[in-house]
Amino acid sequence: MNLIMSDRDINIVENRNTKYIDLSKLKINNCIGCFGCWTKTPGKCVIRDDAVKVYPYIAKSDKVLYVSRVKYGGYDSVFKTMVERAIPVQQAFIRIHNGETHHFQRNVKEKDATIIAYGNISDGEKKVFESLISRNAQNMNFKSYKILFIEDNMVETEVKKILEQWEK
Amino acid sequence: MGKIMILNGSPRAPKSNSKRYAKIFADYMTMECDYVELTSKNHSDICSKIGEYTDVLIVFPLYADALPVGLLDFFKTLEANPPLASKPVISIFVNCGFLEYTQNEVAVMMIKLFCQQNNYKVGSIFMLGSGEAILDTPFRFMVTMAIKRLSKSVVNKSYKEFHLSMPLTKRLFILASNVYWTNYGKKNGIDKKQMQTMEIEGQL
Repeated sequence: MNLIMSDRDINIVENRNTKYIDLSKLKINNCIGCFGCWTKTPGKCVIRDDAVKVYPYIAKSDKVLYVSRVKYGGYDSVFKTMVERAIPVQQAFIRIHNGETHHFQRNVKEKDATIIAYGNISDGEKKVFESLISRNAQNMNFKSYKILFIEDNMVETEVKKILEQWEK
Repeated sequence: MGKIMILNGSPRAPKSNSKRYAKIFADYMTMECDYVELTSKNHSDICSKIGEYTDVLIVFPLYADALPVGLLDFFKTLEANPPLASKPVISIFVNCGFLEYTQNEVAVMMIKLFCQQNNYKVGSIFMLGSGEAILDTPFRFMVTMAIKRLSKSVVNKSYKEFHLSMPLTKRLFILASNVYWTNYGKKNGIDKKQMQTMEIEGQL
């Protein structure tokens, strides 16, 4: 399946293959670093808020479009909060992956990821964001990824373009 | 003589490894030193006091390849509420559970960007790999010695970069981490097989 996960409302229509999640409309608390999802209730976060409905979609999608404002070269708070809360999809145990130590994944599909990074982004921020996504690719099971840096007012247009490409 | 604030940016600050690292740093610190734990409610309070310090050491764990969101939010608050007088030098201590300390680099880059955008000087930087468990291993002394050097670099204003990890091969590290996490689960009454479930929210 396909997933569009955004930190802001986008005027698009979901279809049979594509799930759209607007994180700004959900109640998602910060991860508290308790390791409960690894060592107490494996695969389930102990905080039972809206995040528990989101990470199963992240796991089962093989095509994802992530939309986030950029702050200090990383995801801004709304998106980053969800990224942190998605760690139940991983195990505590460590493996060697592409020559580095990383966590084993649970039943997480390999993904073709597109990341729309929006805002007034400097060249320095772009470099940091590219490094972040390169790291995320190892930990979030991206088999390929593409980053689009765009201004705020172009978000909806770009999302629709990508959605059209997916539907071809 | 300067004055330093040690700011623990861990989401589980009172029970965190960051607290243990901060304590070691404080033990070797010869400048006047205050320890503060970041919560969701004290960002403004910290911002109002931060101008009283010549240095700040931010101690935190890597979260999803970057800063924990609570710390990110703190930087946003600090950007909106900068100190009125002088700005402290910001030093960084970041630890991750992976063997490679280099996995912390993005978090460091993000803080450097904050400093650049908001005119703070970056001080010393310490990147620690295998930071989840190293304090309870025979390699603890290596961390302690390195933190002592970090502390000295801040006092002398001879800011430097430090990095450290357990001196183990990747395979040995994985074996050791298997034991660590299996024992962690045992304390909660679950075994390794249960921890290795492929199910997410009860679904395969």
